[in-house]
Formats: sequence, structure tokens, C-alpha cells
Amino acid sequence: MRSNTVGWLMLAPTIAILGIFGILPFIYVLYVAFHQWNPFGANPDMVYNGANNFRRLVFDGEFLFSIGVTIKFAFFAVLSEIALGYLLAQLFMREFPGRGLFRTIHTLPLIVAPIVVGSVWRLMTTPSIGIIPYFLKSWFGYDLNIGRDAGAAFTLTVLMDIWHWTPLVTLTLLAALLSLPKEPFEQAQIDGANRWQIFWHITLPMIRPAILATVFIRLMDALRTVDEVWMLTSGGPGAATRYVGLHIWKIVFPKTDYGYGAAISVIVLYLTLVMCWLLYVALVAPRQKKQEAE
Amino acid sequence: MMRQSSPLLHVLLWVLLSLATLFPIYWLFVISVKPAVDLFTTPSLILDTFYWKNYVNVVGNATLRGYMYNSLIISTSNAALVTMLAFLSCYALSRYDLAGKENIFFWTITNRMAPAAVFLLPFFLLFTQVFVIGEWRLYDSKVGMVLLYCTFNLPFAIWTLRPTMDGIPRELDEAATVDGATTWQVIHEVVLPLARPGLAVTFILTWVFAWNEFLLAATLTSFNARTITTGLSEYVTTTGTEWGTMASIAVITLIPALIIFSMVQRHIVAGLTFGAVKE
Amino acid sequence: MIRKSGIGLAAIALGLMAGTMSAKADFWSDAGAKYQGVVLHGVTESTPPSNYVKDVLAPEFEKRTGIKVEIETTSWDQMYDKAIKDMEAKTGIYDMVYIEQDIIYAYLARNFLVDISKSLKDDPSLKSPDFDEANFTTFANYFKNAEGNLFGIPMEAFIKVYLYRTDLFGDAKIQEAFKAATGKDLKPATTHEEYTQIAEFFTQYGKDNGLELWGTTAQAHTGHPASWYEFFESIAPTFGVYNWGIDANNNYAASVANGGQMNSDKSKTALKYWLHLRDIAPPESAASTWTEVGTTFAAGRVAQGLVYGENAAWIASDAEKSKVVGNVGVALPPTDPAVLEEVKSGTGYLGYYDGGAFGLPITSKNKEAALLFLQFIGQDSVQADWAVAAPRITNTATYDDPKVIDMDKKLNGYYSMLKNEGKLFAGAPPFPFHAQVREATAPIFYRILLGEIGPDEGLDQMAEAAEAELTNLGYRK
Repeated sequence: MRSNTVGWLMLAPTIAILGIFGILPFIYVLYVAFHQWNPFGANPDMVYNGANNFRRLVFDGEFLFSIGVTIKFAFFAVLSEIALGYLLAQLFMREFPGRGLFRTIHTLPLIVAPIVVGSVWRLMTTPSIGIIPYFLKSWFGYDLNIGRDAGAAFTLTVLMDIWHWTPLVTLTLLAALLSLPKEPFEQAQIDGANRWQIFWHITLPMIRPAILATVFIRLMDALRTVDEVWMLTSGGPGAATRYVGLHIWKIVFPKTDYGYGAAISVIVLYLTLVMCWLLYVALVAPRQKKQEAE
Repeated sequence: MMRQSSPLLHVLLWVLLSLATLFPIYWLFVISVKPAVDLFTTPSLILDTFYWKNYVNVVGNATLRGYMYNSLIISTSNAALVTMLAFLSCYALSRYDLAGKENIFFWTITNRMAPAAVFLLPFFLLFTQVFVIGEWRLYDSKVGMVLLYCTFNLPFAIWTLRPTMDGIPRELDEAATVDGATTWQVIHEVVLPLARPGLAVTFILTWVFAWNEFLLAATLTSFNARTITTGLSEYVTTTGTEWGTMASIAVITLIPALIIFSMVQRHIVAGLTFGAVKE
Repeated sequence: MIRKSGIGLAAIALGLMAGTMSAKADFWSDAGAKYQGVVLHGVTESTPPSNYVKDVLAPEFEKRTGIKVEIETTSWDQMYDKAIKDMEAKTGIYDMVYIEQDIIYAYLARNFLVDISKSLKDDPSLKSPDFDEANFTTFANYFKNAEGNLFGIPMEAFIKVYLYRTDLFGDAKIQEAFKAATGKDLKPATTHEEYTQIAEFFTQYGKDNGLELWGTTAQAHTGHPASWYEFFESIAPTFGVYNWGIDANNNYAASVANGGQMNSDKSKTALKYWLHLRDIAPPESAASTWTEVGTTFAAGRVAQGLVYGENAAWIASDAEKSKVVGNVGVALPPTDPAVLEEVKSGTGYLGYYDGGAFGLPITSKNKEAALLFLQFIGQDSVQADWAVAAPRITNTATYDDPKVIDMDKKLNGYYSMLKNEGKLFAGAPPFPFHAQVREATAPIFYRILLGEIGPDEGLDQMAEAAEAELTNLGYRK
């Protein structure tokens, strides 16, 4: 094996950048999390208050509710995006006329800034005069009011997320599919495997790392969503779409409750980490063991 | 694979998916060519009149052009830097037997998990009080934004490239090394061509993330390095949102993005893995 | 060669300009001479008045003094966040910050701002002969401390008014129908009962005639603080519940049990009144912030409503944005008659007087040059054009400018109302906290709007939540 020093050198810039801009801020946030600090409180200074912020959030109904809807949101959005994204990636694997055009069309949503996506969806869904409620009403008699109907608002945020981010899944899975060797597939066809068998026994295991990476990215991005949802619903109606990113945003910006906001952020970071670690261990570890055994 | 399905179904599926994808973009355009008051009347799918004033205001605005230029520089530099660093990192993670490398790999992704709002404060302090050389500071500089965007783009790039890198058979490297190639030659002449689709996708997506980023740019730039997304937010105010102006800027920003996309897209084609292994 | 001669020509031109400028030497060029090369940085919200400062006043100031001014315009929450971070971390990025009337007390409590009155007294060489604090309208009082010293130069001032459609109210057929339905003459409401009656009438009228027309606006978003503001700033005061029902002189009590008003009977009546209006307002109201309320009115979908002054002007005058130009009447918000007495005697107010000023952060590194700029934008002479470009008036003399009088006619007397009745309106209460209590109570308010909780019970909970937050912040002992 070649010298590991070269390997470390290749990793060094990455570790340096992420160390400075990742670890240092995290240490600062962790420090703030153990303080009472609101610059507009009666005492504007940072006061050490032990684990009080963490104790408070365990009983904070609004926070817990927010975590609940966020997980629900992330689950539906990410699951649909993966399924739809995989389907599209498979379709793009074929040769057909106009493939380039379709591929461009299906990457368009990605280049629209989230704040604009939220605005467009908001105008499309303005009760009674947005294009969607208008046609739902005149064609199906269904009255869609995003300001009153919590379920509708939730569904719309999920649909918006799917619309905006499925292309990302398509592209990453397409890259993975493109780099697969053809041999196993040809062998399987010779052996008379059907489509489902090929997918289950060959494609899926081979692109599992790519799927996992995509799920991770989408999951953590969905957990951090702020701009789009803020523009579309502002977290309403009530708290129905007050996802945790938005919840933290409201605590840190308007309420300037830096101490508590830091504590919530640390916990959310920890929960995300645990969730991803579990997925990682469940999906990647067994495969690696199997490889080692071989 | 999947050669059997009927072409008609295939076409139908494409058309439906494409319409669903295009509709909000079409509506963005509709908003951009309507006066505000027409957004609050009975909607119609068809555009009959065009109100170009929003575009006139935007195109003639030198400040917005400056924002656009900053965005282009920042996103392109960041995507290039990130793709390169991620490529090297993934090569190292994939090919070398480094102690604790799986932990490092997992650690990189944790940098993307942080909810941004509360992290703005330490970033602000770092940018205004730590990275200061005389009069110059990282705050409000393009370099600062390029480096900062690495925090969410590098983890992403490393995680999307790693499967590609692992998928390139080691036998190829080893064969080249036996033939007397240096590490650099192996990377440049064997691995790089095979990783092309992965690199292209990584570049595009990191570019998109940098292009669309809002909160960090809004907080950490003010005059010199402001990006177009922060420019967009100037039209969302307490007294009202200027939907039309905002939409016309958004439509215009699609153009440079599309150009970058079409330049990179042609690299997203099947790699040479298959042929290479056979030899 | 050509290039060189070009530069030469430019230099000659510059020399000539400098010559003519020095010939007209005035306070500004003399005062500015000391600060050549200084670049002032300001941050403000991207609104028409601020954009006027950025696009017109700043270049003008540079021409007169040689001091460059860069104004960063951004969204409202970004503007606050950036100013606060800068002042809190003492970075000194900004020399001017926008201060909305509702945050001034928080900034003063933190000693974030330079005392403008005192600074000009201490260094008379900085004082412009064209600047006088006495030129400002009474709105400037909101930017003064207990001693009467000024901490911000007012640059925006609006009142939230009652707008109605003169074409509908003046239509003979509609008047007849209204008389038949209610036995009264159709005229702008002065009391809540009249307002409700008119609103009900028009909503029914719209339904009967198949029109896209409703009787009232409602800024009733179920997830955005706009709804909270409409209730506490515009509705509750007209029922006699002032300062959000929080008593600053009584240990910041909010609940009736502790001496507050937030959940008083008056407050509950006010909320039920407004919820009823919300129910007969256009369907988009449940998702309406100030933006949508303005657009709903401008699109001609409502007969009357409460609209912020900054929107009232373009609704009445800008044909590109509004379908009701020429048909907009301005009146005082309908009020409980008893409250009107309190308002006239000076103990109450009947609506929201809102606006902002430019302040000088104590952390600025160019305080003297910034003081010059602040005086520059506070002069009487720059006000009239500014008022025409963006409908705001901060100096008393501006009302008498012919351009402004002309515009007042177009706006159906909005400026006259600001001038004569402005004293009946009030800004946000003098609390050193603001968004903190709003955000602590707003989630409950949204639940009331959604009907998940009754208005009475909801207001009780809100009062409790407000007190809890105030205790947490350390204001309530």
C-alpha cells in the first residue's frame, strides 16, 4: 500500500475548513446553550444557568409539537422524493428523443431560490383567487383554504418540497446509476432474471450507498427548511407547519432568546445525528461486514 | 434494463411529469408580467396581456447586476473548490487505509445538520473579529462566502462522490501503478475520467446550493459581496411584497443558471467503467 | 493618447465644478471638508422612503460635502438582526441604523444610540443652521428620552386609517338598498356597530349580485404576526384596551387578576367583534398579512377596511397597482364613543401611528460625519420631494408645501388627517421588549383564529403567557 501521508494530505484542506467553520462555531453555540442570554432582557448579559435551557425544552409543548410535525414532514417529503427521483433517474437512463430537453426541464426547480419558490406557491394557493384553489373549487367544488385548513397547508408544504427537491435526488441517483458496471446486469439477463429480481438483487444493493447519501442530505435539509415554508405559510395555520427550522428562527430572530435558541439547536443537531447514525449503521454496516466476510 | 414497457405509456408519463414540473415556473413567469393588482383577481391560465415594466425596472438596475455578478463568482468558485476538495478527500477515503476514516467520513456530514439561525452569531464574530487583517476582514468579502459555503457544500459533495469513487474498481489503479504511473497520474488519467458523471452532478448541485443560499449571505455580507438571493429579499418588506419585481428578477436569474447547467450537463453520461473493466 | 486627454478633460471639468462649488461655499461643504474620504454605512429596510434616502439624498449629500454614503437596504428582519448584531458585538460596521418606532425603547434601554441633541450642543461646529429639532412633527417625540433629547431623525410616519370606497358609498342604488335593509343612511362608520352593519350589508350585497365584493378587510393571517398586530394596535385600542393591555406602571401586569387589561371584558368584546368581521371578509383574509390586505383593497374586492398609511397612498393614487384610484375615501377608524372621549382628553388613542427614524449607533467610528448626514435628511428643504416620492411626512412645514397640498387632494385628505388628527393615533407602547412578548403570545392567538380555542379562554391564556415571558425576561418581578 502507498504511503498514508499522501492520503492525509488530500484530506487536510477539507478537515481544516470544516474544523474552522464547523467545529469552532459549534463550540460557541454549545457554550451559549448553557447561558440565559437575551440582549433585550432586563439583564442583557450572558448569565450561566447550567442546564436550565435543556430542562426547559423537555417540557416545551411548542417545541415538542414542532419536532413532531417536522418529522412527519420530512418523512413524507423525503420518501416521495426518493421514489419519484429514482423513477426519473431510471427513465433518464434510456435513450429517447428529446432526452436533453427533458433533463433540463427536470432540473429547473433546483435553480429557483427557496424564497421565490415559497412566494410562487403562496400566490398559486391564495385562498379563492390563487390558481389552484380557484380551479379546485370550480372543477371539483373543493374549497382549499391554506389559512384555515391545517391538513391542506401541511400537504402543500410537502408538495412544494417534493417539487423543489426531487430533481436533486434524480441527479444524484442518475450519477450513481451511470457509474454502475454493465456486466452483472447482462449476466442476470442471461440467467433469466426478471425486472424485479434485477432491481432487488443487483441495482438496489449496488446503489444503496448513493441512496443513503441522498436520503441523508434530503433528510437534514428538510429538517432545516425555513425560507420556503416561511414564505408559503409562515408556519401556520396555527403551528401546523411551524417546522423546527422555522421554530428556531422565531426564537433566535424576533425573540432574540439566544441562550434557549442555542440549546434547541444543539438538541436538534443531536437528534439529527442520532437519526442519521442509526440509518447509517442499519444500512451500511451490514453490507460492509458482508464484504469483509467475502 | 426495462426495455419492455410500452412507448405510449412512457411518453404520457414524461409529459405529465414535465407539466407538473413546469407549471410553477410558468406561474413565476405569469407573476412577473402582471401588475400586482391583477394577482388578486379571478385567475386565468392563459396570459393575454404582458406588463413588461417589472423587467424594465430590473434590467436597468445596476445594483442588481452587481448582486448577480457576486452570485456568479461566489457560486462558481465555491462549486469548483468544493468539487476539487471533495474529489481529493473521497480518493483518500476510498483508496488509503487511514485510521478512523469512516468516522471522519461521518463527521463531515454533521456539518450540514446544524440549524443555521443560531450559528449566524458565531459566524458573525469569526468574520468580524477573528479573521481581520488590518482594515480587511472576512465579513462582506467574496472569499469569506466561498469558504463559508464549504460548511454545507463539502459534506454534500463528499457524500455524493464517495459512492462513485468506491465504485471505480481498485484494480485499475493498481494496474496503472504497476505500469509505473505516479499517484498523480493515476488520479488524473485513470480515476478522474471515470468519475466524470459524479463530478458533474456534484458541481451542479453544489453550485445550486451556493446560488440559492440566503440566510448566511444576508447576515454576513452588506455592500461588496451581496448576492442575488439577498437582493430578492429586499422586495419582501413589512409594507408589502413586490411580487412582480421579485418574480422578474427570479426569471432573469434562471438564465445564467441554465447556461452553467447546459455546460456541465453533457458530462453526465455513462462512464467508461464497463469497457475499462473488461480489458 | 485619447485616453489621457480624456482624463485631462475630466480633471478640468472637476476643477471647474470645484470652483463653482467653493464659490457657493456653505455650511455643508465647510463641515464636510474635515471628513474627506470618510464613507458612511447605513442599514435600513427596503421601503420607498428608505430607497429615496439611498437613491436621492445620499448622492446629494455626497455632492454637497464630499462624504460618501452607502445605504444597505434589506428585508425587515434582516435589517434588525444586522443592526443588533453590529451594535451588540461593537463591530462598528454601521454609522446609521433604521429604528422602527417599536424598537426604540429597547435600543435606548441598551444604550445603543448616540444622543443627537447633546452631541450637537457639545460640538456646535457640527450643527447645521438649517437643522432644528423643532421643525419635526410631534412624531419625533417617540425618539426622545425622558429628558427630551432626540435619538433618531424621523424619516417615516404613517397612520393606519379607515379606507372606504367612495364610488360604492355614493351609489344611489346601493344607498337605497342600504336604507331599506337597515333604515339608516349609508355613510362611513364612526362606531363599531355601524361598521359591522355596513360590512354585513356589502358582503351580502356581493353575494346577492354575484360580485367579488365583501364588506371589510381583515388582516387575519393564522401563522404570521400581522394578525396579532391588527388586533392589538388597531382594534383593541378602539375598545379602550391600550398598550396591548399590559400595564408598565404596575409590574408589567397583563392579566386582569394582576391589574392588566389583556384579557379584560373590553378586550374580549373587541376580539369577538373582529372575529366576526374576519368571518365576513374575503376568503383570502385567513392568509392575509398587510401585503394582501392592501392588494385586496386595491383590487376592489372590499367596500371598506383598515389599511396602513404607507399602502393607503398607492391604493388611492397609483393606477398601475390599484383598480380603485379616485374612489378611495379616508376616515378615522370606527371607535367606541366612550373611547373617543378618552382619546380626545389624551388618555387613549384610536389607532396606530407608525414609522421610523435613522439613529446613530454608539459603536460608529464616524460619528461626526454621520451627524452631518442625519441633519441633512432632517432639513425642511429636502422634505417635500421626499413626501411626494414616498408618502411620509415628518416635518410640520412639509404640510404647507404646494406639492404636498396637491398630493393631499389626490389622496382624498390623507395628509390632512395625518396633520390634524395624527395626535389621536399612537405608536407602539414604550416597552423595552416587543417581539419577545408578541412571539410568546402569538401562537395562542393563531389558535383562537382557527377556532381551536374560544376567544375568552384564549385571551386568558395569552395574558398568562405574556406575564410568564415578562418574568422570564426579568421585567416582571
